[in-house]
This record gives sequence, C-alpha cells and structure tokens, in this order.
Amino acid sequence: MTTYLLGAFCRVYSLLLFGYPAEFRREFGGPMLQLFRDRCRDLARRGNPWEALRFALHVVADWSRSTLRERTANFWNAGRRQAPRSSATEWAGTLLIYLFATTTLVQAYVIPTGSMEGNLLIGDHLLVDRMAYADPGTLGRHFLPCRDVERGDIIAFLYPEDPRETYVKRVIGLPGDRIRLEHGAVIRNGRRLIEPYTQHIPTYPDAYRDEFPLSVSIYTTPRGREMFARDVHDGEVVVPPGTLFALGDNRENSADSRYWGFVPRNYVVGKPLVVYWSYDAQTADLQEWTVHHAVDVATHFFTKTRWNRMLLIPRSQRAQEVEVVR
Amino acid sequence: MAKERSPQELLPLTQPVFHILLALADEERHGYGIMQDVAQQTEGALQLGPGTLYGCLKRMLAAGLVEESEERPDPALDDERRKYYRMTAFGKRVVRAEAQRLAGAVTAAMSKLAGESL
Repeated sequence: MTTYLLGAFCRVYSLLLFGYPAEFRREFGGPMLQLFRDRCRDLARRGNPWEALRFALHVVADWSRSTLRERTANFWNAGRRQAPRSSATEWAGTLLIYLFATTTLVQAYVIPTGSMEGNLLIGDHLLVDRMAYADPGTLGRHFLPCRDVERGDIIAFLYPEDPRETYVKRVIGLPGDRIRLEHGAVIRNGRRLIEPYTQHIPTYPDAYRDEFPLSVSIYTTPRGREMFARDVHDGEVVVPPGTLFALGDNRENSADSRYWGFVPRNYVVGKPLVVYWSYDAQTADLQEWTVHHAVDVATHFFTKTRWNRMLLIPRSQRAQEVEVVR
Repeated sequence: MAKERSPQELLPLTQPVFHILLALADEERHGYGIMQDVAQQTEGALQLGPGTLYGCLKRMLAAGLVEESEERPDPALDDERRKYYRMTAFGKRVVRAEAQRLAGAVTAAMSKLAGESL
C-alpha cells in the first residue's frame, strides 16, 4: 500500500515539476524528485501523520514560491535586488501557473455511470494526467513523460458522439486488431482474452452485446452503424488506423465501442491518475451540481465519502491470451 | 573569474544560502543530506523545500560557491545514485566573511544592549 501511495505522490510531484522553467527542470528535476521520494520514505518510516501533512503543505508552499522565483529571477541575487513584488502580482502568477496546471497537465473528472464498476465506482472523482498519452512531438519525445496507448490501459476520452462528454473505458484493440465477442469473452486476433479486471453480472442474454458484431440494433449510434458498414470483415471488427476499440470493465452494463464505434486517437484526453475523492451519489447528481446535491454533500460528507477509495490508483492491466480451440 | 571576486560583493547571504554553505563545510552532501543538515543546524526552524534548495544551489553553482562532485549512491539510503555537492575555496571564503559579518553584528548588539540579558 505505501509503495502505491509513494508512487502516486511522486507522480503528482513530477507533474508539479512542470511548473519550473524547462532548463531548470532538466538540470534539477531528477534530484528534486529523488529528494522528495527520500523525504516521503523517511516520513512513512516515522509514521507521524501530522508531520506528513506539514510536509505536504510545505511542499505546496515551496513549489508556488520557487516556481515564481525561477521564472522571474535570472541572475544570482535577483531575490535581493528586485523590488519586492506586491502580493497581487504574486497571486496572479500563482493563479496563472495553477490554471496552466489544471488545463494542460491534469484535469478533474467524476465517474457518473457504472460502466467501469469493479475498478471505478459511480461518484469517484478522478484526476486525469493529460500528458500521459499526449503527442510529445519529435523534440518532446526525449524528455516528456509520454508513451503510446497500449492494450489494457484505462483511458479518459471525449465521447465521439458528443465531445462535450468525457468517458472512461479500457483499451481492448489497437489499429489493425481483429475483434469479436463470443459468449461475452473477447477474441482478439484469434486469441481468447482472459481479463481479470472485468466484472460480469448475471443479466438477461443479449446477443448483440455478447456475440458482437452480429448486426446493427436500435442501440447502435450513427457512428456505430458506420463501423458496422465499413469495418466488419468475416464476423470481426478490424480497428482502423488512428483509432482505438474501448470497452467498459462492467461488460454487461457498458455503452462502449460495441455501440458507438471507435475512439479516434486524438479524442484521448489522458490517463486516470488517482481517485482524489469518492462520494456515494446518484448518476444524475454527479452530472451537474444542484442545490439538492450540495446540501447532501454538506450534510453527509463524512458518512458518504468512501474513505477507503481515497488516493486509489486505477491501473493498466494486461489480459492473458489463450488459443481458441475450434 | 569567480576566484578574483571579493567575497564582500556577495554579502549579506540569504539565510538558506548561508546554511547550505555551512552544511557543506565539513563534508560533501547530496540534496536530501543538505536538507537534513540545515534542519539540524537550525533546530528545525529552517526547512528547505526541494524548489528552494535547488534554486539556491543553481545560483550558488553559477556564483562559484559550490561545485558538483561525482554521482554515487548513499550507503544509508538505497542504491540509487545521487548527485553530491561540495564547497569551493571561494565558497569557504564567502561563508567565513559572512560569519565574521554576523559576529560583528552580534558584538555591536551586545555592546548596545549591555546590561540587558540577551
């Protein structure tokens, strides 16, 4: 557990490092992260929560102060010779960095539906790492913490039928993969997947869902129909270039690529980083803030918060593949 | 160039810079080692965050007060390699000058406040 937490904290801190000028980060980013990790380990060994809290606050204060300083000071005693900045400009600077961080580095989302149940619950509030799957460009490839999407990764992406909504699903197929379902089990490129992360609930049989792809149904969206028309060959969908095939972990209760087609690669927002708050609420309340929901949170904050899910990290998981015996 | 400069130009040192130099006076240390030593010197009053520490180190490197030593693992921590820093001769002169300046200030305070218990 502590190693998970340590990993999460270090990941958050390595994101914070992007607040510093690139030159500074390249030179000292590594040692700073190392120092942070050393300190966290020491605190974990001592096991004093107040000391840990003080360190957390201290790091935030240190970060906002030193990012500002590194961005403004170019020469040795700049801190002394400079006219003291008014607190208004200090705040404006901090606010700018904060806005930069929340719009380009991380973003907060809430899970409104149960399609990932088993791993992500309704009411989980997530931080999404927007750098993780970003296109780093030819130059950034060498030092930005980006990698390409892999099978088994959980991704947050814009819903292709309505990009105003963000969905979270698991990547099952990459471009070129051939995919079909047989009695609810995924067959990818002729091999059956054993997926430890899925949850199957007893429910009525549904051939469209469990024997995908058969033929379009009333639940198939326009993009889904396009997929059926263009990308189904020999009873399998073939994932086209530049797209992904994504399914929910709650396989029987998930509106996913089976219904609305492929996720364009450039619709991928990022990788869910950590659950920062989990609150037991109804789907409708999570989609927009109402007075009713605000009152509910205010009165039931401590009882309805799922404390055991705090700082939980949704993980990529690889499926095991087995040969299909025909 | 750094050698020809007078230590007086850099005085007074900021509090973090002074304590970082003191931390490096007896031996070379890595970042976390400096942080721990500074906390010990000041009895916990000065806790350097990573940003403040490395910001100071950057400026101290540029001013020639400290230099990088080789990278090696710390036997007390784990087997990850850490960057060590050590004080230069110029750094030693600067920290001495600063200590003298502070001592002068303390003497002045003592004589002005003679009779009152400090």
